[in-house]
Amino acid sequence: MNYGPLIFLAAFFALSGSWVGFVLTPQMQVGQLQQTNVVVSGVAYPLARPGLAREGLEVYRANGCAYCHSQEIVQTGTMRNVVLNEAGTNQAAAVAALMEVTPGTSEGQAREVLRALPKTILQGVTKEAADAVTKSLSTAGAKAEPWVVPVGPDITRGWGKRRTVAQDFLFDYPVMLGSQRVGPDLANVGERLPDPNWHLRHLYAPRLVERKSSMPPYRFLFEKRRIEKLRSADALDLPAEFASGPEFEIVPTRESRALVAYLLSLRADTPLFEAPFTVAGLAASAPGTNAAPTTRGASTNAANSPPTNTPAK
Amino acid sequence: MSESGHSIPVTEAGDELQAERRPVPVWLILFLFVLLYWGMVWFDERGGWFAPQVYAPYRSLVEVETYQPATAVSAKDRGAPKFEVNCALCHNSDGTGKPGQAPPFVKSEWVLGSPARLIRIPLAGLSGPIKVNGQEYNFGTSMAAMGVGLSDEDLAAVLTYIRQSWGNNASEITPEQVKAVRAEVGARTQPWTTTELEALP
Repeated sequence: MNYGPLIFLAAFFALSGSWVGFVLTPQMQVGQLQQTNVVVSGVAYPLARPGLAREGLEVYRANGCAYCHSQEIVQTGTMRNVVLNEAGTNQAAAVAALMEVTPGTSEGQAREVLRALPKTILQGVTKEAADAVTKSLSTAGAKAEPWVVPVGPDITRGWGKRRTVAQDFLFDYPVMLGSQRVGPDLANVGERLPDPNWHLRHLYAPRLVERKSSMPPYRFLFEKRRIEKLRSADALDLPAEFASGPEFEIVPTRESRALVAYLLSLRADTPLFEAPFTVAGLAASAPGTNAAPTTRGASTNAANSPPTNTPAK
Repeated sequence: MSESGHSIPVTEAGDELQAERRPVPVWLILFLFVLLYWGMVWFDERGGWFAPQVYAPYRSLVEVETYQPATAVSAKDRGAPKFEVNCALCHNSDGTGKPGQAPPFVKSEWVLGSPARLIRIPLAGLSGPIKVNGQEYNFGTSMAAMGVGLSDEDLAAVLTYIRQSWGNNASEITPEQVKAVRAEVGARTQPWTTTELEALP
């Protein structure tokens, strides 16, 4: 019996099925991604990495940093909290409202809360409950706002503020996502560790700044130079056991500078439509609490119009 | 002869060996259906219907929307970054204008006055001469239609920003107003002149 056509069809459907699933569908989903606006502040995101940082991506790639470091924050859930910002002028009313919205709080505890503001007064509530609490507190003259707070093991470790999404890698080629986590995640390292000198010292001698680090030193990214007349301003500040004698100095090369510029440009710290969270100071009062007379009282329509990056439904 | 049962039939001499055909057990078919059903339910819950903006832990676009931070940011605050990108190059970040390039916005009667005139200017541009704060400005080139590419919301936010910043204090421009004026202006590309604008209310 001739099984040729059957084998051909089986192979064809197996290959084209995986092509549709692994190539075509992702391309249709995120292939057309463009720079977008950060929710609330309206600043463009992401910005292309500056030149030296773009060069640093190649250094990152060449030295295999992605074999031990991932760039992906995992988020397992999202919590809605209510944060009390100001007690207002009527202390007694604020205390009464606070006791009402947080059952089981004694008057003394409520007064204690009002002493150290801003403070999270409710955690993990529904949207309706958060809005209702915000409203009843504002009726009492206090200022509260509902917060959206991502939760997850990586966020608890302080590695990031929200999950990583495709948008974060828009201008990167190749995407250095990484899968192993021998070292910590670097998706938001530019915000976590903003000091370039820390990074240079860490690359030269990891155990100098992190005693238990298992990272290998990248000393070939530095140059050992004899000090001619004056010590270079760029020379690393190293303790005696790492320094190479009084007549020598350790100076970062262009590669290590580029790598550090790249690390500092890794900042996934902005709220996006697909990964929302509340930024302190940027959050506005909840809808329905704009009752206080303002000069723009008549224009809540414009103010509540959806942000421009809301997808068309 | 072979005895009946499930053993491989012993063939007569000269016959080919033949495999026995056994039907697929019913329990396996049922199990596969249950597995398929479970898979579809799992996919339905987590797939987000292929929406590109739905990532775990969110399950659907509607759910993502409920988590958006309250966007009750004033139009003025939303207009500020758009102003920096579109207007500030000539009119200056503090709205004082630049000599030889653009007149000021601070306390300008054009900015604080009639919305119908103000909205028209970024939609088609403006060519001088123009009198602002008692001083006459006439530049060699006319202003381009800087606002024609902005959405109604964005243009309204920019105009609100210039009407309420640097000590200016005039009413807000709403997206509806911009939309109405944009419909009236149509596809005009010719810059306005002040005489044309002054004929408007």
